[in-house]
Amino acid sequence: MSTRTVPIRFQLNGLPVERSIPPERILLDLIRDELRLTGTKRGCDLGTCGCCTVLLDGTPVLSCLTLAARADGRSVTTIEGIMTGGRLHPVQAAFVECGATQCGFCTPGFVLTAVALLRENPHPDRATIVRAISGNLCRCTGYTKIVRAIERASEVAP
Amino acid sequence: MHLDAFELHRPESLSETLRLAQTWAGQSDFLAGGTDLLPNYKMHLNLRPHLIALDRVSELGGVSLDRFGATATLGELERYLGQARAYPGVADAVTEVATPLVRATATLGGNLLVDTRCFFFNQSHFWRQSLGYCLKADGDRCHVVPQKERCYATFSGDLAPALMVVDAEVEVAGASGVRRLPLRDLYDRTGDGIRRLRLAPGELLVAVHLPSEARQFRASYLKLRIRPSFDFPELGVAVAARTDGDRIEALRLAVGGLETYPRRFDELTDPLEGQRWSEERIRDLAAAVSAAVRPVRNTSLAPDYRKRMAGVYVRRAIDRMRHRGG
Repeated sequence: MSTRTVPIRFQLNGLPVERSIPPERILLDLIRDELRLTGTKRGCDLGTCGCCTVLLDGTPVLSCLTLAARADGRSVTTIEGIMTGGRLHPVQAAFVECGATQCGFCTPGFVLTAVALLRENPHPDRATIVRAISGNLCRCTGYTKIVRAIERASEVAP
Repeated sequence: MHLDAFELHRPESLSETLRLAQTWAGQSDFLAGGTDLLPNYKMHLNLRPHLIALDRVSELGGVSLDRFGATATLGELERYLGQARAYPGVADAVTEVATPLVRATATLGGNLLVDTRCFFFNQSHFWRQSLGYCLKADGDRCHVVPQKERCYATFSGDLAPALMVVDAEVEVAGASGVRRLPLRDLYDRTGDGIRRLRLAPGELLVAVHLPSEARQFRASYLKLRIRPSFDFPELGVAVAARTDGDRIEALRLAVGGLETYPRRFDELTDPLEGQRWSEERIRDLAAAVSAAVRPVRNTSLAPDYRKRMAGVYVRRAIDRMRHRGG
């Protein structure tokens, strides 16, 4: 064990979190094992698959390769934090409508990557969508419906 | 996978960073994006008890036309180069590094200094233990080229070749002050493959500087890999040229992903300066590069294939560069 802990404070899905953590604590472990938000998935654990994607100050990052200490003073959004007023986020709704999930394990990562893409570029073309999700792996769908869902979400975006 | 315990230092200035690096020289790693270091730490590869995080050191960041900060993320650099429409070869290379998710945190400095890779090194501790480890981590022999003197792991950064061909320089800071050297000289080709950088203990990469002449070059970078959306290079070819019509005024070529070091081929390109482009000259150059490189069997694709593809990619990279405007 480490000889000391690091104090961190951050916003998690809009709510303040304060913790003392060992410096080697990975953000994914903090989110899943300590804060019990298990929507963020552990896939490869080495940065290849994108299942663990969360938004750090709005930017999608791999939480399996991010030290939790790095979240200090910042805002973290997980899949649990994008619904508003009990309603699905438009990207989530589009995934449901288009049947863009099968086993569902990769879905939180895809949804968060898509949320960030559409915030930056509300009406991306197909090639831009494909590039944006190239760090998220899906072993079930073949991606067609995922791309379609993101296009659908962009159509309903303001 | 959990990380073993380490002490995390989070300096807020360059001077504090250098002081920490001096104090913990030999016992520390710098942590920038962490996208390569942390997977290696998860696999227990060359762990150090101290990590010095660079994310709060503002002197190391920022991107402008003639200076790229070492901790600028690849995503930041990609966006900047896209908007500035500058250094097309560097823009090619940065877009080809891993995925957007990795590029959101991976840094320029990390890509230039990225640890070399090998089948026998980038494996779990359990896997490596069963083979008795290797020269690069915990062991005393190389399994690729059986001997005990030299490591043959492959340099797997994409940006080094692309920056070398436009004569980029690196700014390095250490206890004895700040110095600049050509990027190509950062890689110590006389080393044993493990000691492979001309950095003193505790020295730190601060920034990459682009000379104004770099903007006069047409350039391109092409990368061979298994999965186009993700993998490290099995081969990377960068080329840059300044031409007057069909006449070559200056020509540079560098390759990565084949040997322990990224390598520039001035001995092959200098004789072409003052000449005109011709199919025969390009074919001869491609053949000479292919003949000169020495990949070994330590990545996914066979060394003979990578060697032959080096020639193919030289031709394609030149073609791509020549058909670019500017």
